[in-house]
Amino acid sequence: MAERLVGADHAPPDLRAKITGRARYAEDFRAPGMVFMKLLLSPMPHCRVRNVDATRALALPGVIDILRASDVGEPSDRPSESMLTDEPLYEGEPILAIAAVDEETCAAAIELIRLDLEPLPFVLDPLESLRPGGPNAFTGGNQFSGQDGWSEYKWTDAEFAAIERGEMPDPQDMPTTWSKGDVDAAFAEAAYVVMEPIVHQSLTHHPMEPRSTMAYWENGRPFVYVSTQSAQRTKMGLADALDVDPEDLTFVSEYCGGGFGSKIGGHTHMALAPAMSRKIGRPVMHRVTRYEENYIGRARPGFQSWVKMGFRADGKCTAIDLLIAQESGPYGASDYNSAGSIADLAFTPENIRFRGVAMYTNTPPKAAQRGPGGAQIISMLEPIHDKAARQLGLDRLQVRLLNAPTADVGFGPRNGTLTSVFAREALAEGAEIFDWEAKQALSGRRVGSKVTGVGLGLSPYTAGSRGYDGLLVIRPDGRLYAYQGVGNLGTHSIADTVKPAAQLLGLNWDQVEIVWGDSSRGMPRSSIQAGSQTTHAHSRANYAAAEDALRKIRLVASRQLGGSPNAYQVDNGRVSGPGGSMTFAQVAERAIALGGEFDGSTLPSDISERETVPAAQRLAGQGLMGVAADAYGGNGSIYSWQAGFALVELDVETGMVEILEYVGWADCGTVIHPRSLKAQELGGSIQGMGMAMSQRWVFDPRYGVPFANRLYTARPPGFHDVPLEMTAGAVNIPDPQTPVGAKGIGEPSVGAGAAALTTAIADAMGGNCLCRTPLTPDIILAELEGRPGPWSRLDQHVG
Amino acid sequence: MAEVESVGVLEKKYSRRTFIKGVIATGATVSASSYALRGTSLLGAATFQTSTERLITLNVNGQQRRVDVLPHETLAMTLRYKLNLTGTKLGCDRAECGACTVLIDGVNQYGCSILTHQLRGRSVVTIEGLEDADTGELSVVQEAVMEQGGFQCAFCAPGFIMSMTAMLDTNPNPTREEARHALSGNLCRCADYDKILTCAMRAAELARSV
Amino acid sequence: MATIKDMIPPFDLVQPTSVDDAVALLREHGANAWVLAGGLDTFDWLKDRIKRPGVVVDIGGIQELHGIRDAQGGLEIGAMATLTEVINHQRVRSEYSLLANAADHVATPQIRNQGTLGGNVSQDTRCWYYRSGWPCYRAGGNTCYASAPVAMNREHAIMGTSRCVAVNPSDTAPALIALDAKMVVQSPRRRTVDAEDYFIGPTTDITRMTILKPGDLLTQIHIPATWANSSFYYEKVRDRGSWDFQLVSVAAAFRMSGSTIEEARIAVNGVAPYPVRLEGVERLVRGTNGDEATQVAAGDLAIAGARALARNDFKIPMMRNLVRRAVRSVA
Repeated sequence: MAERLVGADHAPPDLRAKITGRARYAEDFRAPGMVFMKLLLSPMPHCRVRNVDATRALALPGVIDILRASDVGEPSDRPSESMLTDEPLYEGEPILAIAAVDEETCAAAIELIRLDLEPLPFVLDPLESLRPGGPNAFTGGNQFSGQDGWSEYKWTDAEFAAIERGEMPDPQDMPTTWSKGDVDAAFAEAAYVVMEPIVHQSLTHHPMEPRSTMAYWENGRPFVYVSTQSAQRTKMGLADALDVDPEDLTFVSEYCGGGFGSKIGGHTHMALAPAMSRKIGRPVMHRVTRYEENYIGRARPGFQSWVKMGFRADGKCTAIDLLIAQESGPYGASDYNSAGSIADLAFTPENIRFRGVAMYTNTPPKAAQRGPGGAQIISMLEPIHDKAARQLGLDRLQVRLLNAPTADVGFGPRNGTLTSVFAREALAEGAEIFDWEAKQALSGRRVGSKVTGVGLGLSPYTAGSRGYDGLLVIRPDGRLYAYQGVGNLGTHSIADTVKPAAQLLGLNWDQVEIVWGDSSRGMPRSSIQAGSQTTHAHSRANYAAAEDALRKIRLVASRQLGGSPNAYQVDNGRVSGPGGSMTFAQVAERAIALGGEFDGSTLPSDISERETVPAAQRLAGQGLMGVAADAYGGNGSIYSWQAGFALVELDVETGMVEILEYVGWADCGTVIHPRSLKAQELGGSIQGMGMAMSQRWVFDPRYGVPFANRLYTARPPGFHDVPLEMTAGAVNIPDPQTPVGAKGIGEPSVGAGAAALTTAIADAMGGNCLCRTPLTPDIILAELEGRPGPWSRLDQHVG
Repeated sequence: MAEVESVGVLEKKYSRRTFIKGVIATGATVSASSYALRGTSLLGAATFQTSTERLITLNVNGQQRRVDVLPHETLAMTLRYKLNLTGTKLGCDRAECGACTVLIDGVNQYGCSILTHQLRGRSVVTIEGLEDADTGELSVVQEAVMEQGGFQCAFCAPGFIMSMTAMLDTNPNPTREEARHALSGNLCRCADYDKILTCAMRAAELARSV
Repeated sequence: MATIKDMIPPFDLVQPTSVDDAVALLREHGANAWVLAGGLDTFDWLKDRIKRPGVVVDIGGIQELHGIRDAQGGLEIGAMATLTEVINHQRVRSEYSLLANAADHVATPQIRNQGTLGGNVSQDTRCWYYRSGWPCYRAGGNTCYASAPVAMNREHAIMGTSRCVAVNPSDTAPALIALDAKMVVQSPRRRTVDAEDYFIGPTTDITRMTILKPGDLLTQIHIPATWANSSFYYEKVRDRGSWDFQLVSVAAAFRMSGSTIEEARIAVNGVAPYPVRLEGVERLVRGTNGDEATQVAAGDLAIAGARALARNDFKIPMMRNLVRRAVRSVA
């Protein structure tokens, strides 16, 4: 009997390479004659490049060439990022690139370049740009639409006067507005209403691996070695950017050292090395430094917001009024929209109003960061929700359960539905594992200078998608080869999404070979590796391909051995039935002999013509092919949940917080790989803790220059910042609308960890929510001592 | 000023003739090794550099390796770009992440923050040097990581594994808290800390049972 | 000139094997020379391409600078002894655990394995304006960016400032002061100064953190027997548990007679451009048993005259509380 695969732990197939130093990430590749490229970054937050004098640079021995903005794209009048620019919109934006025989020469050359820059007005703080007469990030204005071009959106003096008074401003014309019900009426009747201004600061993604790229061209075809979260999708995007046929592009990304949303597809600067290489006819290594990651590496958008929540006496949330000004960098982001929908989903208010505006700023670009919008809003709202429970004299867990959704939820502006939701189950089960009853009793306990705080948060995020293709081949060696167009960013989904397929085919894990990372081997149409969708999307796609393979195996067997195909069963690499038994190796050989659909010589009509067919065609005639589109369908959005519970000790004399215990418990459908699940839950939770406790940007406001632009000043959490032991798991209830029952988990965890922290700290402070992140010792101590804090409530980019 | 001219590799005055002459003079063709730091002895071209490379012998993974090293070259760069040992990673190049951790005389240090020329007479061990050179058998730490399925994106893994190896040398029976402290100079952005620590404890257990 | 980072500019490397040779080289090359010890301060400057010495003098090969030896009942610690060697030394652990504790709070294990005690006490401030190469007073310019009302000065000083508001970042410095350590400096002749006099403030020379001038070399740190086996207290408050420099730290040594404090030495760092020895507090607690009233008085006295910048008012109660806790530790 083949071993159980789904729900069991197996070492991912790439682990040995990773721990022996054999795994090669983008910067590990070398090519004969390879040269190096480095960037010249803007020293000003907003300026125009009037002139570049590179004469001395280009005369330096060993310097090969230079790329300017005009070499790599057309100047744009819209706020869209290009690889190089003559109007930098943030300090650190790349202006030009130099290629030379070595990096030293690149650096020396860059220092010889004379830049003539015209400083332009800049703005860092969205509220400053909203102020009447306040600066704009772009010369054209601070709002852009495709239809109307540039415009200016400002609040009035009335709004700022309200802010001054500590009230929620009430702008009537916010660019994004939606509402359900009547929040004002609900507030009027509520037993408890609370309004808080809240800031959630931006923070850089900082994956461990910077986004280096190596590229060369041969006979007009590019070979590119990149760092990216996705694979097949990135390949398609990069081919477009390079204006080549995707089948002419050899795209290698076997290992990605993290992305968290900053490398979802082809990030902007990925095409620079290929562009330079094409120009000079040499392989080019673009090694990106950590310092550059601060700039071009993306960050989570910050929010300056006002939240008003109303509750009935029994704790039911009757209204949420949410107003968000998002710090969007120069190129925009959409976190704030997700924030509004997720607030609606997570707390199921009977009435809701959402108003949001994305404000451009002259700060490094923003992009989705693990749980974009959702992580922030849960971190922000949970302490407010807790405050209400406390004021109403109710148990926080009970109130949270009450306000968590059930299967009939309709959320967001279009009342979206879900395929399944077991949020209450996750919360209840997690609470038991955490022993909420006992821990709650410790809330506020003071021993010496340490006060105990207990917190919880419930965090949803998208966790699936549909409609991709699976591609499997059983070769004459009897092994199953799973062709993955999925990126290997460290989630192990390249392997985990194959397990249900392999299990259906009755295989042991050591009979399965995952093929990934090199587009020349064949990549079917795949999702991006973002939005936690891969586990769901590709367990389905691979399962569809496995069902196709199983059907064909049975047909082959019945033709060869007699009897009805449905009477044949697979196990342990064999197919057996009324007529006897064949090994998979024999089945593969038969399939090749039979041709047609059996070996992929003919293909189904519903797989992607442009993306999957070429990959399948490469593999035709090599064995028994299982290839299919995910046509399982489904109604509603796919979301997963994580409940986070934390116990902390706050030292009232220093403001330092120690996290002593943490439990994460999820609803993510069927658990395919328990150990991997726990790692995702805890990894995301810790990223949330970093968000809540230590990470931020810091800008000098006069010069528009960031200072937390080193890894140590960025303060991502290390070993000493998290508990010694942590627990995570899931309710493991299958989603009924997907054959494997599995949903993703990567993103709900961030909000769970962050919220568990922000609520625990508030709890330790007697229910006092500080309403900003990160909650560093200085802020906490100032509050406890009743002294002026370092920042005002709505300050951004400070620390 | 005039518009910037692009310069193809063989077009400027400092150029094809000198390049080829240099290549012929050194009797070398442009080979597969590529240098982030100056390796232009192969290209035969003088550069602006005021400092020169010196040939030194390094003890790396038990082998004596002779390599041309610039005075200001860090160990991480030498390993990655001159010795083809890319297992040691550059995460920050500033002693702030630990991805470049190697063993110097058995002690874990950041390879990005030490000059190669400071290592004459000292032994360097990298991730590639942990497995048995003849049999390919993994070290005890590596076995523990395989068994426990440690790491996610694993860019931090080589550095962590070197730190675990050093830890077992000085503290063969650590508590979980001691192990955490020993590993606290390695950052993991995937935040696989809990599992990584379990690997370290398992490695200690396995090492003690050998 | 356009700028770029993370590429060490070329230099000539010299590796003397004696202190005399090192000093001679430093004299010869003057302002063009740079001392390389553990490198953890050096490489930041070089990789940012802000400092560009033509000659780097690697003192790692000078045997007499290494090692920890018994000396006159106390210890003589070579300036090149690594922090790990200091932490693991049997006598440091058993008799001068304050120093082991402080050293163990520096950065990370790898940095402690390579960073030296001499380097740790001699390191330059981490004010991020200064470290980014901005032309402030400390860099020879004529302004201070960090003291502006809107500047990001959360980590800067609350006392002892004079045009410059940066702080001394060393973890071992207050411990050495509390142990009444003596610093042996070759400049060019050998002299010895008390630890607290090793550090200078901006009124003495705004461009340096210590008495070391170009050409000088710190060779040994002597720990006298005076404070061996005393009651010690060390605490470092910081944002993260690794890597981070202190917000505020305290190091204290108490000589007890029963439950009475006979003598005390207390130093705080992270609050001024130099580590601050709290002599007034030492006098206040002498002869007391460190009861709560004493703790409170000690804390209040410690912060007397402290003046916050726009963003670092919290350091005042933080410093006060750490001093209270130091006294409380022997109550």
